[in-house]
Amino acid sequence: MPVALFAASLCVLSVAGCAPVERAQQPEARPVAAPPGPTVAIEPRVPAAVPPTAPSQASATEPTVVTPEPQVAAAAPMADGIAGPVAAKPDGSAPRTSARVPAAPTPAAQPPKKEPSAPVIAKPDAPPTLDLKALETRLKETKAIGVFTKLTVKNQVDDLLQQFRAYYQGKLKTTLTELRRSYDMLVLKVLALLQDADPPLASAIAASRESIWAILSNPAKFAAV
Amino acid sequence: MKVLTMVALLAAIGAMPARAAEDAALLKDLTSVIALLGLPCGEVVSATRLKDNDHIATCKDGNRYRVFVNAEGRVVAQKQ
Repeated sequence: MPVALFAASLCVLSVAGCAPVERAQQPEARPVAAPPGPTVAIEPRVPAAVPPTAPSQASATEPTVVTPEPQVAAAAPMADGIAGPVAAKPDGSAPRTSARVPAAPTPAAQPPKKEPSAPVIAKPDAPPTLDLKALETRLKETKAIGVFTKLTVKNQVDDLLQQFRAYYQGKLKTTLTELRRSYDMLVLKVLALLQDADPPLASAIAASRESIWAILSNPAKFAAV
Repeated sequence: MKVLTMVALLAAIGAMPARAAEDAALLKDLTSVIALLGLPCGEVVSATRLKDNDHIATCKDGNRYRVFVNAEGRVVAQKQ
């Protein structure tokens, strides 16, 4: 019986011993985590919760300073074994942290979204720039294909242009869809010839494909060529 | 005399790779032309020059074409 009491008291003591440790960690963690804490592991959640309140506070001061921090801080807590529990507890006490933290993370979350979108927009803009003269010169000067091949390609391009001319003059009974197919076939042939030996030229032609078609399929633009 | 022979021999040996590269380029060129014209060939394995811009191309599949530039400046492949 005394043994059972002793064992029970040991259990109670051990459990009771753990409780203060948790409580003790919380107050320690908050002050310690406060300076780096906001930047630590809370950020991914905060932007989602706070956006409506944050922008007014953060927009003026934070963006330039904070932007690099969240990325570094987001990686750091994952590496620390201790940071996990420290970061997990603020979730329970969300009101405190979310009130302070949001100012920094929201601007941090917005710029990364803009940065990736800018190059994505820039890439589609680049290909449409079309310089037919430059392409023609590059085709003439490339060593990827021989003289016979260049002459054959030129003949076939001339044939296609002749077809377009006849089509717009009403002399050729065909459709624009058929002409498009012929055009696509010719472009594919040229790309097949160039893609291994002169990839930059092949990609330039591939990028200009729609721009060239836009000229061919427009009688006014075609007449100007 | 021996020296001259040696020099000529070395020059010939030195020129061989360039000649081989030219031949390979010509075979590839003829292969591309025949393919562009939509004729069956596969690959040109040998070519005989008749005159400038005029060759007989022998294909891997046995077909033979005379590839030349006609008076209008068009490349033509005539089946032989």
